[in-house]
Parts: sequence; C-alpha cells; structure tokens
Amino acid sequence: MYVGVDVGGTYTDAVLLRNGAVGATAKIPTRSNLLESVLEALDIVLKDVDTRDIKRIVFSTTMITNLIAGKKYDKVALLLIPGPGMNLKYYDFKTDVIILSGAIDYRGREIVPLNEREIEEALVSLAEKGYRKVGVVGKFSPRNSAHEKRVAEIIKEKYPDWHVELGFQAGPQLNFPRRAVTTFLTCATREPYNTFVNSVKEALAKRNITAEVFILKADAGTLPLENSVEQPVETIFSGPSASTLGVEALTPPDVTEVAVDVGGTTTDIALILDGQPLLSAKGARVDGQLTQVRTLAVKSVPVGGDSVLELAGEEIVFRAERLGPAYCMGGPAPTPTDALRVLGLTSLGDEGKAREAMENLGSPLGMSALETAEKVTDLVVSSITNEIKKMFKEWEQEPAYRIWELLHKKKVKPSIVVGVGGGAEGFIKRIAQELGCKPVTPPYAAVANAIGAAVARPTLQLSLRADTEQGYYIIREDGIQEKISRHSFNEQKALELAKERLLQKAAGYGLKVAPEEIEITYQEVFNMIRGWSTVGRLYDLTVQTPGGIALRVEMGGK
Amino acid sequence: MQDPGNKKTGLIFFPAFDWAISPTHPEREERLLYTRDQIFEEGIMDLPEISEYAPVLAKTHDIARTHFCVPRVEDRITEAHLIAAGAAILLAEEIISGRLKNGFALVRPPGHHSMRVVHGNRGFCNINNEAIMVDYLRRHHGIKRIAIVDTDVHHGDGTQDIFWHDPDVLFISFHQDGRTIYPGTGFADELGGPKAFARTINIPLPPGTTDESILYIVDNLILPILEDFKPEFIVNSAGQDNHFTDPLGSMKFTAQGYARLTEKLKPDLAVLEGGYAIETALPYVNMGIILALAGLDYSSVLEPDLQDLRESGEISGYIRRIVETHLKNWEKRDEAFAASQTIKGDFFQEKKRIYYDTEGISEYRSEKLRICDDCPGYLTIETSASRHFDSSGTALCISIPFTACSSCSAEAHDLYEKTKKTREYRYMYLQDKPQDIFLSYDFNTGKELRSEG
Repeated sequence: MYVGVDVGGTYTDAVLLRNGAVGATAKIPTRSNLLESVLEALDIVLKDVDTRDIKRIVFSTTMITNLIAGKKYDKVALLLIPGPGMNLKYYDFKTDVIILSGAIDYRGREIVPLNEREIEEALVSLAEKGYRKVGVVGKFSPRNSAHEKRVAEIIKEKYPDWHVELGFQAGPQLNFPRRAVTTFLTCATREPYNTFVNSVKEALAKRNITAEVFILKADAGTLPLENSVEQPVETIFSGPSASTLGVEALTPPDVTEVAVDVGGTTTDIALILDGQPLLSAKGARVDGQLTQVRTLAVKSVPVGGDSVLELAGEEIVFRAERLGPAYCMGGPAPTPTDALRVLGLTSLGDEGKAREAMENLGSPLGMSALETAEKVTDLVVSSITNEIKKMFKEWEQEPAYRIWELLHKKKVKPSIVVGVGGGAEGFIKRIAQELGCKPVTPPYAAVANAIGAAVARPTLQLSLRADTEQGYYIIREDGIQEKISRHSFNEQKALELAKERLLQKAAGYGLKVAPEEIEITYQEVFNMIRGWSTVGRLYDLTVQTPGGIALRVEMGGK
Repeated sequence: MQDPGNKKTGLIFFPAFDWAISPTHPEREERLLYTRDQIFEEGIMDLPEISEYAPVLAKTHDIARTHFCVPRVEDRITEAHLIAAGAAILLAEEIISGRLKNGFALVRPPGHHSMRVVHGNRGFCNINNEAIMVDYLRRHHGIKRIAIVDTDVHHGDGTQDIFWHDPDVLFISFHQDGRTIYPGTGFADELGGPKAFARTINIPLPPGTTDESILYIVDNLILPILEDFKPEFIVNSAGQDNHFTDPLGSMKFTAQGYARLTEKLKPDLAVLEGGYAIETALPYVNMGIILALAGLDYSSVLEPDLQDLRESGEISGYIRRIVETHLKNWEKRDEAFAASQTIKGDFFQEKKRIYYDTEGISEYRSEKLRICDDCPGYLTIETSASRHFDSSGTALCISIPFTACSSCSAEAHDLYEKTKKTREYRYMYLQDKPQDIFLSYDFNTGKELRSEG
C-alpha cells in the first residue's frame, strides 16, 4: 500500500492506494501546525489499515515555503569568494556579505589564493554582529571546492558551534549568484526543517508505522525523509509536483497533456510532454530570488473559482483575492463559480443565488445573467489558455547550443487537457475546446495531488566531470576529487564511474536501483587542443535513477 | 540608432558545440566552451538587462541575396552557417523593430573573410553573417545607411569586397598589418570603388599595438567619421584576436580595451568573428563586450594573467599619422567621388586573384562595374576557381544594387538573357536586390532556378 499526503495552503489531502486503486481519501483544512494537519489526514486514510502493510508514505508539504515566506529562521551571513568578473554591486543577497580574496577559474584552477588572515577578520566581524550561520560560496566552486572547504575548516577551528553550508553542495550547477542564494536558503532552513523531520518521525513511530517515508521535491522526484535534511530547499513548491504526477498517474501513458489545477484564487498549469513532466530550464524563483532548485515548469495564473469579480469601467475584471466562498454558496461577492453555476457547468451551490450574482454584476452593462456568466467564463478561460500557449511557445524557444538540438526542436501540441483541483471541472471543457484538445476530469481529480505524492518515485542525481589534461575527476555534488590516468581514461570509463558512484549513493539512501535503470541526462565530451594536438579531454555527465511514477492509478476519466 | 530607454541587450549564444572545420582546427567545438562556463557561472543570462534568444536558421535566399555560391548555396554551407547568419538577422530585426536596445550574436562559425563569390571556405569563413544581415535589413526594413566596424585582428577582406562599390555602407577595419598576418590585405590605400571613395577605411596596425592606441583611433578617427556619416545602424564585427594572448595575432589588447571600445562605439549589433585564445581571452573579452553593450560596469572583468602592456613610441607616432591621413581622405570623399565620373567608357574594370587558404582554392575574377550617373551601377563578375589544378569552369555573376536606376536594372537583365543563349560559361547568376529576385542558370542542363524574398 502506498500513502500520499499533500499539505497545501488551504487544504491537506491524503490518499491510500491499495493494489493500484484508491482505497481511501481525506481532505481537511490545513491547520497552522503543519504536523497536526499531516497526522490528521494520515489518521483518516489509515483507519482500519494494518500499518505493517504500508510500503511507502510520501509527503508533500509547504513547510519550507512557509518558513521562507515568513522569514522564520535565524540570520545567515554570506562569505563570498567571487574573484574577478561581474561587479558585485548588481547582486542583492539581502543579508550581510563579506567578500574574500581568492579565485578559481572555469577549469577549477586556482587563480588567486585565499588570504587566511582576512578570513579570520571576517569571522570576527560576523561574530560581533551575532551571526552563527554562514554560507561560504565561491565562483566556480563546483569545479574546485578547495577554497570553500578551507574556509569551512577555519570556521570549524575558530567557531566550532557555527552552522556552515558550502556553495558547491547547495548549488552545484554553474551559476554563482543562484548558488549564493541557494546556499543562503539551505543554511537558513536546515535546522528548523530538521526539527520538523524529527517530529514527523516521532509521530510515525507512535503510530507504529515502519514504512519507508519520502518527501516530495519541486522536480517531482522524492528523497528519503532522513536524507532530505541535506537539501531542504529542494522540497519547496512540491504542491505543483504532486498534482502533475497525479495527472500522470490518472491519464494514459506517453501523452502530451496540460495539467490545470484550478484552486480558490490561483490556477497552476504544468506541461507533460510525451509522458514526462516538463522541468524548468533554470532553477526556481524563491521569494523573488533566483535559485538553483530544480523545479517543474509550472506557471500560476491569479484566477480561481473564488476570485472576486467586479466592474472596472465597462469591463468585468477579477481580483486575485478571496473574500469567501462563491455567492451561490453563501459568499459575499460574485465569483467565477457563480458563472459556472448559471451556465450549468457545475452543480455547486444554489442556482438562484448564482443568477442573482451574475445579474448584479452585469446589469450596469445592460447584460443579462446568462450573458454575464458567458463573459466571465470567457475571461477566465482565455487568461488560462493564453498562459498555456505562452508556456508551449517558451518551451519551443528555449536556447539550444548544438546544431543537432536546434534542428530537432519540434512543435508539440497537447492532446488532452486534464483538470484537477476543486474548481477545475467547470472550466476544463472550455479550456480544452479553446486549445483543440480533449477535456479530461479524472476520477479523484480533487485529490490528484495526494495521488501524485503517493506514486512519486525517489530520484537521485550525480554529476561527474573529468579533465584528463589536469588528470582528475570530480563528483560535483560531493566535492570528491580523484586522480585519473590521462591516457587510459575514456568516455566509457567516465560513465561506468558515474554509474558506480550513483549506485553507492542510492545504497546509502536505502534505495534499490538496478544498474540498467540508470538514465544519462547530460553528456558532453570536448577534446582540448593546444597548438595542433590533443592535450586532453573534458567529460561532463549527469546520471540519475529513473524518475516518473511508480504506478498508474486508473485509466481514463469522465 | 534606437533610443535605448529601458530596453534590453539581446544575446544569442550559439557555440555550435557539434561543429568544427576539422578536429584540431582553431575553429572547433571547444572554441566557446570556456566562454559558456564563464557567462553561465556569472549568471549573465539572469541579468534583467539581458534577454537570451534561441537562434533561427537563415533561408538560402537570404544567402543568395548577398553571395554568389558556386554552384549553389546548398553546396557551400552547412546548417551551422545558416544558424550563425540567422542569429544575426533575428537580433537585427528585434533591434530595428525597437524591441531591443542592442545585441550580440555570440555565434560561430564566423564570416568576415567571405566575399561576394563563394567557392569554399577561406579564413575559417563560408558566408558573411554581417553582410547577409545588412542586406536583409535593407530589403525588409528599408534601412539605407549602415556602418560596419571590424575589430578583428585580421582584415575583414570579405566584408570589404562585398561593399566595395557601395556608397551607403561604410566599412571601417582596423587590424594587424597585412604584411605580417593573414589575409595580407587591408592597407591604408584600399579606399573603396570609384563610386564609393572612402566608404572603405583600413587602418593597418603594427604588431604590439595596445588598448591605448586603439582607443585613440576610435576617439579621433572612427567616431568623428561615424558622426559625419550618420548611419542608421552600426554593426561591429567583433573579432577578439587582437587580445595579447591570441595564438594567431601579435597584438596587445585586453578585455578592458575591448569593453571600452564597445562602450564608445555603441554598436547596434555586435557579431562575433575570430578570437582563438579560447581560455585566456574569450571568456573575459566576451563578458566585457556583453556588459558594455548592456551598460553595466565591466571594471572587474580582468584576465588572470593580465600584465602591464606597453607599446613603443614608434607605434604611437604611426597611429597619429595614419589617423591624420584618413581624416584627409574622408574630407575629400565627395571630390574623389566626383572625379570618378570622368572614368572613360561605360565600365570600370578590375582583375583579382583570391586564395582560399582553408581549402587550397585559387579563384580568378574579372569584375566590371557599369559606370552610371544615376546609380552605383550594376556589377558583373566572371569567376573561375581551381582546386588542385581541377577547374570548376567559369561562372558569370550579375549583381544589381539596391539603389540601381531602372536602366541599369534593365541592362543587367538583358545581359543575363542574352548570355543564356551563348555557351561561354558553366553557370550564371543574377542577383536583383531591388526586386529581391535571385536567378541561377546551369548551362549544361539549361535549367534555371529562381528564388524570391
């Protein structure tokens, strides 16, 4: 049995999957205490279940989102080692930043050494300001983490109780400003997240639940709860991952589809291309700042079933605000849900009240209730379909750096539009019609997010970079550096090495992965020519355990 | 030039990581690898001042509007060339339409050694990205006056050849003295065709010239000439091999020098040309150019092995003299133009021999410019190329310029039709720029192909 729990901003949903079918569901309002919400929903779906039969539980929570949005963390300073290049005045890391001497280049060579006295002085000044948490981030540190590690050593020596995060681990991709932000957030959230994880573990132990427990990430993969404390920021924005995976589980495999999650005041849109959820080309934007957190390419449109409708001159407009439920359900103001009720596209609420809401809204414009309802529905549908079209266009226009990639770019068209979430049903037909697709509202659409969490699979990534001229390889995520022979090392060996390391890492996480399942997600080989002869090769590759979903829940829809 | 406002700098980064002339050639996959690492690591693509675009392929007609590829466009290029030219066109369109402040096509393969006629690759170039883009702008956006400033260490002989007779395109190139480096041309007395005097300006530089002298030339020669010429669009052929670490050039420019040059020149569009110090120069020079175009502080963009670079007093003296000479040439540009009207007969003739170093091709050309009082006149080129003593046969190329008068246009079309009835050539082409028509005729098969823009 698989259990999925998705703690959203408004509701917490849970499902129990038994033999590939939904066995129980729960939907409760999210409390201010997230743990309470998790447990309450869990207890509902686990009623009458022998906890020993549960194979896996996956949580998706807003824990990190709330922490960051509420700035509920201790202050964190940044020690940066940027070296020459971009002027730092263009970055605002929103905290105290001290610049250290030292520089590494694109091939991981030291250009400028560290100045240890300067580091000690920097630490004294941070201590005076009361900092006990520090992110240490160097430019090109994923190519050589020696400077970052040395600074960490000095901190450990002088201030053993400080919490230090290093850039090459928190932000292993090439992008120094995003690395600094990601390291800051990792440092800020690790401790409170750890406390959360421990209380989840305690609560599960109390219920005698011994199943493996995972946490959902923004990229629709999962991490064992235990290991998720290493990269807490990756668990941000897992809600859209949950509903996208839910759509994947509830619809036929390998299709190109749009997942539309219509909530109270926002609509989340995600794309699934040939059965694969589309990842954002760059990392997530968190609290206005760009990070290296891998995330699905999800767009939010500020409109939902409970958005407030009003007149602005001769135009009907919606406000991204909820004053309460729809008018037809006893709310104070006209909403898109009232429009749907008038058009017979939903059976929620009272028809008479819905008509009244539309009449009040449209009468100053000389429109009948029906005309107003049509107008409102068109407005909502077009703002959602415009965003969907834009997303496909953006995907088509992603930069490519190889001729092969550019020539193989193809136009894709979705074949189905899948509505999930509370408010989707009424709009989905219209949205699909507008896009020339088939509308699908799967069974259990209201808890698709929890289903998505339940079927999510653990994913682990590992990146290897080898520079045969310099005679070493590095594992980016771990900062491991080992020597290699310039002559006998080749692409085959690089791949074997990366796979072997990934299997070791998976074993450390308690995951069973077969070597043949490993996917290569990035592979780059360059000959280095100096003068007219080959002096070495650069290999860059990323391997991962298979992503996607563990099982499909039920085909079709209604 | 456009009003900058809050508009962004457009960037197309197309390193063509899967294209090389040959595995160990300087123009190979690895060339922009470290530049990529640097601009990605610095987060350049995330800057609010920068907008990254994906390139699109140019159409073969866009190539035929500018070049005579023998026998056909498809035989002389690869997809990589269409992408590089397409990138320049896409950015130029965005700039002209007012959606961008300026742009940088950071693309390969390069193009500034490609001339009007293309029999193969010369100087690492097959087709001229800037010239194709310029002709595209003139055709589709009615732009007339354009300036191209070539800052590569090698003379931009291809661009010079294409615009040699064109009074509306100002071509300025500074480069290492042709007596010391490929392609061996670009001397100060190469000043343009009889109807375009001083619309070509060459500033050969002694090996060892530094930032200081080059910025002197920009301030005292290039900017004043641009001020007079008033171009609607400024292109920079942004070669980076004047850098002090370049393996092919012997100059002493720095990333700071290139950035300051860009800041002063304010090109609407920069297009990458050469530059083969792929580790020690390109990551820094490219970044300096991007930041300068975007109006951002580039003062911390410093090469790791930067030294105090000085030039001899002799060089500074020479620089001052050549600036003086060219200012005089520029002043009498219209007199010389008038004097050319006295050329005897209807045609101005020149013979040229062009060597294609990459492929070992020798091309022989005989050019005739129709001298006309009302327009720059149409041009005919008889061209034959031999590759390892194997001759391809002779082709006749006829080019009608954008501003041709109706009688020159009619005469050129007549010539094309009459020549069809002879068996003098292997191929014949007619490039009618005002009507945007390209005709090609194969004398062996009697087949004519026509494309229209």
